[in-house]
Amino acid sequence: MKVVSVVMLGVLAVPFATALATILVGHRSDGVSKAIAVGGSAVGLILAWLVAIAHLGDAEPLAQVFASTHSVRPPIELGWYVDPLSAVMLMLATTVAFLVQVYSLGYLEHDPRYPSYAALVSLFTGAMVTVVTADDLWMLLVGWELMGACSYFLIAHHWELADARAGAVKAFLITRTADLGLLFAIFVLGQRFGSYRISTVMADIGGGAFARDDLWLPATLIAIAVMGKSAQVPFHTWLPDAMPGPTPISALIHAATMVAAGVFLVARMYPLFLSAPSAMTLLAVVAAVTMFLAALYALMTTDLKRVLAWSTVSQLAYMFGALSAGAWSAAVLQLLAHGVFKALLFLAAGSVVHAVGGSTSMAVMGGLRRRLPDTFATMTLGFAALAGVVPLVGFFTKDAVIHGAYDGAVHGRLVWPWVAWLLLGSMVLTAALTVAYSMRAWLMVFFGEPRSPLAAAAHNPPAVMRVPLILLAVPSVLGGLVVAVPGILGPDRREELFHVSTSVLMTLLVVVSGAVVVWLWLRRGPDMWRRVVLPHPPVDVLYDRVLVRPVRRLATVVRAGDRDVIDAYAEGAAASTRGAGWLLRRAQNGGVQGYLMVVVVGATAIAVIAGALG
Amino acid sequence: MPLWWPLLLASLLFAIGVYGVLVRRNAVLVLMGVELMLNAVNINFVAFDAQLRDRFHGGQTFALFVIVIAAAEIGLALAIVLLVFRTHGHIEVDDLRELADRDPEDAR
Repeated sequence: MKVVSVVMLGVLAVPFATALATILVGHRSDGVSKAIAVGGSAVGLILAWLVAIAHLGDAEPLAQVFASTHSVRPPIELGWYVDPLSAVMLMLATTVAFLVQVYSLGYLEHDPRYPSYAALVSLFTGAMVTVVTADDLWMLLVGWELMGACSYFLIAHHWELADARAGAVKAFLITRTADLGLLFAIFVLGQRFGSYRISTVMADIGGGAFARDDLWLPATLIAIAVMGKSAQVPFHTWLPDAMPGPTPISALIHAATMVAAGVFLVARMYPLFLSAPSAMTLLAVVAAVTMFLAALYALMTTDLKRVLAWSTVSQLAYMFGALSAGAWSAAVLQLLAHGVFKALLFLAAGSVVHAVGGSTSMAVMGGLRRRLPDTFATMTLGFAALAGVVPLVGFFTKDAVIHGAYDGAVHGRLVWPWVAWLLLGSMVLTAALTVAYSMRAWLMVFFGEPRSPLAAAAHNPPAVMRVPLILLAVPSVLGGLVVAVPGILGPDRREELFHVSTSVLMTLLVVVSGAVVVWLWLRRGPDMWRRVVLPHPPVDVLYDRVLVRPVRRLATVVRAGDRDVIDAYAEGAAASTRGAGWLLRRAQNGGVQGYLMVVVVGATAIAVIAGALG
Repeated sequence: MPLWWPLLLASLLFAIGVYGVLVRRNAVLVLMGVELMLNAVNINFVAFDAQLRDRFHGGQTFALFVIVIAAAEIGLALAIVLLVFRTHGHIEVDDLRELADRDPEDAR
């Protein structure tokens, strides 16, 4: 076994081992469980970076199978495949997970459920590592489902709150429903290619032996699965409702693991999607609708965490849009950049929430920039990166994405032209809205006068919470340099990602929309635009009408059938037996003379009858 | 002597015995009913023996057997009656209902 294989095995095993150790030691010693959780994720981080750095750029991908079933055909194999895409995802996932573990030391300092929380975070990381390195579709599915389960448990961390329980159940049900797509796609691909190895399947498709749209079925099924995992329309409602979970978990789910897995899967299976334009069109339309809709929600909500959640939905739609326009590198870079600045934003939001005593409503914040100087500085950078301000990382990746969509609309043959133009229009519009909601949240949290006593008395969070923010702010600022290093994502990914004309236009857009928001803020204060109250996303109402209520009604019918038909038979049998017994028991009264009377009368009767007949 | 005389007597005795067994409440009187029935049978045995002129006198022999069995039976039965009197304080047959089939909750 080569050294790198051993290290890779460590990358996979360490998070799971950490989870197990944390939960085993957990309740016995607080200090030890914290040390194990943070130490384990640090070891995982180092190993993952060792593997990842060795496989960036032009390096030969690490492909290895170390166990395989022989009884089942096609064989199910335990194997990994680390190419530059996996490498950058490994770096992102383990880094964010490590920072979240460190941050949680402060955020959940007095939480009695810390051990199970930390164990689940490790398990979550392990699941994501499995997904990004798996070469076998079943192995990928295991990690994929494990993430769903972990997110369920972590969203329901405060299970005494009805909101948290409902959000967790909703997340689980919606993502699991969509996951069926992946399961059936695996069946279809396995049967079609005689192998469950992703690299083999992708090489076969890349060989070009398939007609256009020949593989539309597995591609569409996978598209549905990733739409569920990444909270795209019409599965978008679970992500904002997952906000009652602890804020570091939101950072983990939104930046590095759960929702990122959806984009990663499309990027990994890109040859499949290239061969199936119908699935690409589906993704493009969904992305165009989602990014705009989610940005509108983000613009209206007054809850800080929900702003960020809707913004995640919108940014993920950018990545899907880029992928469906053919801009693979731009999408992956946007995924990385988003992972970094969204983790930063969520952790900073957690620090704000922590400072004002647990409320996430922006109505109780305001004027926090003097009270929380570090958080203010880092969150400003995060919002600026999200909005795409020069020269932060979001600026480069977003321009690359929009230019990719423009190229796709002008030259592309992947999706119909009108879909591509719709996508481009939606992206530009959403870019303006992104600036608007980022500015709004930033102004409402940090500027003006404190709008509540809690905000006036806000306390600076401990250093263990501030350091991760600063560490994340560094790549948010300097990450744009990656765009200047072509080929980091592989030898055949050397396209030019920086375009002066797009950048100038986008910067103009950012400046104009930012100026409009500032002008509205100066004129009207916190209520910058008329609030539209959106009680529920219409999709939720639709789900309620089409799924929840009919199922409830069916359940009522089934219950009535069980009670009034099946139970009635069983109970009727019992009652009739009892009644017959009651009747017969009348004869057994214990009076011996009565019995004798029956015997005598009976014998006489028999004798008389016999005489009469004989 | 015509056959029907002893047969009538036996029938009357048997009927009185059945009546006694079925109706009397005192256990001793019930036993007396049983004795009456047995002896009615004995009369039948003897009467038919005489009528049929059986060479081995099977009827009379059976009558002797019945008398012996009746004696043994009455001895056993009186012992039971004595024990019933000791445990229950009475020998009223109507009130001896331990054999009745009851609901489990009534038995308690």
